[in-house]
Amino acid sequence: MAVTTRLAWKKEKALQKLLGNVSLSLLYKSKVHGDSIEDMVQKCTHQGSTITVIYFYRYVIGAFMLGHYPELDNYSEESKSFLFSFRENGDTIETTSSDLNIVAKIINRELTFYSHYKDMCSVFPSTKTLKLTSSLKLLLKLRFSSPSTYDECEVFRVEGIKDNPGYIRRITGVTQRRNMLLNDLRAYKPCADLVSKIRILLLGPVGSGKSSFFNSVKSVFQGHVTHQAIVGSDSASITEQYRIYSVKDGKDGKSLPFMLCDSMGLDEREGAGLCMCDIPHILKGCVPDRYQLSPQKPISPKHPTFITSPSLKDKIHCVAYVLDINSINNLSSKMVEKFKRIHKEVLNCGIAYVALLTKVNNYSEVLEEDFLNMNRSATSQSQVMNVNKMLGIPVTNILIVENYASEWELEPVKDVLILSALRQMLRAADDVLEDLPVEETDEIAAKIQLCM
Amino acid sequence: MAVTTRLTWLQEKILQNYLGGKQFSLLYKASVHKFSGQNLLQKCCHQGPTIALIYSEDNVIGAYVQESYQKGKNASIILFALKETEISECKKGPYVLFSLFYDTNSELQCGYNGGIQIHLPRKEIYMDSDIVNDLGLPQKPISFQECEVFRCEDLLDQRRIAEVTNLKMTLLSTIRTYKPYGDLVQQIRILLVGPSGAGKSSFINSVKSIFRGHVTHQVLVGSDTTGISKKYRTYSIKDGKDGSSLPFILCDCLGLSEEDEGLCMEDIFYVIKGHIPDRYQFNSMKPISSSHHNFIDAPLLKDRIHCVAFVFDANSVEHLSGEMIAKIKSVRREAIKCGVVHVALLTHVDCMDLITKGDLIDIYRCVPVKSKLEAVQRELGFALSNILVVSNYTSEWELDPVKDVLILSALNQMLRAADDFLEDLPPEETDAKSEQGIMKCEVK
Repeated sequence: MAVTTRLAWKKEKALQKLLGNVSLSLLYKSKVHGDSIEDMVQKCTHQGSTITVIYFYRYVIGAFMLGHYPELDNYSEESKSFLFSFRENGDTIETTSSDLNIVAKIINRELTFYSHYKDMCSVFPSTKTLKLTSSLKLLLKLRFSSPSTYDECEVFRVEGIKDNPGYIRRITGVTQRRNMLLNDLRAYKPCADLVSKIRILLLGPVGSGKSSFFNSVKSVFQGHVTHQAIVGSDSASITEQYRIYSVKDGKDGKSLPFMLCDSMGLDEREGAGLCMCDIPHILKGCVPDRYQLSPQKPISPKHPTFITSPSLKDKIHCVAYVLDINSINNLSSKMVEKFKRIHKEVLNCGIAYVALLTKVNNYSEVLEEDFLNMNRSATSQSQVMNVNKMLGIPVTNILIVENYASEWELEPVKDVLILSALRQMLRAADDVLEDLPVEETDEIAAKIQLCM
Repeated sequence: MAVTTRLTWLQEKILQNYLGGKQFSLLYKASVHKFSGQNLLQKCCHQGPTIALIYSEDNVIGAYVQESYQKGKNASIILFALKETEISECKKGPYVLFSLFYDTNSELQCGYNGGIQIHLPRKEIYMDSDIVNDLGLPQKPISFQECEVFRCEDLLDQRRIAEVTNLKMTLLSTIRTYKPYGDLVQQIRILLVGPSGAGKSSFINSVKSIFRGHVTHQVLVGSDTTGISKKYRTYSIKDGKDGSSLPFILCDCLGLSEEDEGLCMEDIFYVIKGHIPDRYQFNSMKPISSSHHNFIDAPLLKDRIHCVAFVFDANSVEHLSGEMIAKIKSVRREAIKCGVVHVALLTHVDCMDLITKGDLIDIYRCVPVKSKLEAVQRELGFALSNILVVSNYTSEWELDPVKDVLILSALNQMLRAADDFLEDLPPEETDAKSEQGIMKCEVK
């Protein structure tokens, strides 16, 4: 009596993820509502965005339609669509999707999907057959003869999805971009192999999201949300030790070619937050991992763990100024003054620098549709302009992210922002390494020969 | 473009709970699909049990039908009116279902049912006076603005239960085969700390129950305001009745208290560092002394706490006193100083207002739970993603896979957090590496 979907929960979750945390409502089920195109159209028209799911024995083929379901007459508006497939591989479900450049229409009682005026896929409900072009089979990683008979067809309304093609295109393209960035970062090698790991120092006011950024980076490479650096709400800085974090690729993977250095937060008052006199020592690489920072007392060269002759690998190669994007326009003049003093020190040491703006609300709109560049609306907002003026940081190196603080699962758009920011830091560091004075690189080469 | 219901979350929840834990799928919406009985039946035929909602100025009037709308079908209808959060109800029928909605298409008409008819083109609903009286509605034709029809599905149908059971088996396997990071220790020690009565011991019993296969109450649980757990206990959990130990130990200690009867704050450091032996009798007035005969002078990594779980009752966490909040923050700071990771665990989430068992499947999507987590973040300072939600076993005899999944998921998160702690240890503190160092020296 009850009409329920046969979509397995795992596949439902995979679908929801594919479309960005949506809800699905079953509208049509061919075994209950009939196999004719009229039966399908009757239930599915004027229901907003839909997903049509076609069940075969070992895999599922589906179509997302952004607009209303097509109607029987030829005058109905064409609906932008993309096709996807789910394939079971042991315990996991592999998902592949096409671009949102396919149009859905009903022609001669067939539900037809075509692109550039060429038929890609046809569903003929009354005979339960599906036709797929070879190129689409290849794209969706499917192997079966065409036409083929399917078992059942179901159509769901998609709720909670944003109603514009750009968003859909972004959602389907983001996973590709994320994986590409991951691979690039895994394969990254510092300029001329001068060091094996780039050291990135996170500097910013209390609560700006420095430790959260490290946790977010680690989460992306681990594959689940993680919390190695302590995070929380407190009026004083949670972080009191200087930490040099190495990041692993997966649970038992090898170390990645960068390290993130986390320190006490900045405070606008003198004698509070990170001690200004500690900063040159941190930048030069004299401060060891886990050194207990003190707001009033800088590290002394006589301290037993002070690194008196740091080599290039001990130095900071890139500084990331971390700021909450929502408080940039309200920075006190004292905090701005502190930033400028620090920045002068960074310039003197010849270190690369970027700004990292955290806690952006509309994180899905920071990047252009293809995720290659930042949006003009993102780069032109007042917070970015203020940082650009305050510290003279070029706009391309003012990076915008949303850290993982509220989710239990990874989200590919956030991943892309985090990985893009990381890549920009590494690129900035490369620029500086390439520009090192000859005597410094010779020194390194000499040391290498001594080791041989 | 998007077709959505005008029900608020609260209205939907009240109706869902009233009908016994249903889930609603919108099938027909008059303002989108036209105020036409024919269009309504087009969308709603053969959809299983459905509910039709009529939105008038003051009321939501509903007609719940257990049978599918089909031609010639007769069925009883449960009529009800929702006003604010109150529901009045009456059962009528049987009716010819197709006649419930007036339509100009004469083929569908079998005449007026005599009790109720919804006239979509006129946007009016006609009811007999006895129905009107039962529902507490005004004695006149009621005009409405919108009509929506939903399919009603059980939140916990066979498919869902099978999936939840699958997920439980996956989590069980993940936890059974879990190996701490770098094999630095064999068992992760998780310390449960929180106000008395928050559900610490109850959580331990629940974990034990899952691995035992039926509900067990080995750890004493009580509602005594002074807290029954006065001893420090370290519980190693066995897999099955005679199975091997699982890769974690749950540590239970005296509850926190506003007055002087709870856990002595000076003891926290010793608990976390691993100086306190199993079954040590806490004294609220006097911290453990290093000269105590059972004091562990040089605890190894395996003796230390690797993850601290702050346990709160979800229903009272927003009413903690200022002194209690200060104590919690103090314990948290101590944990941070010791470099130990921490999570927050909210228990008894199933006792929250409007939450039913079916909601536990996707508990983090429930609006009241979301706002509860945000309140915990705001008041106590835990990161949102560090706040876990469970429903402990309290009065049941047999296991429920829905509860199991929540408990095992929380446990899995704690183990992951502990991995972060182990990965972050300074090299000199990892015993295994120290031993390797010794071996290397000997080789030289």
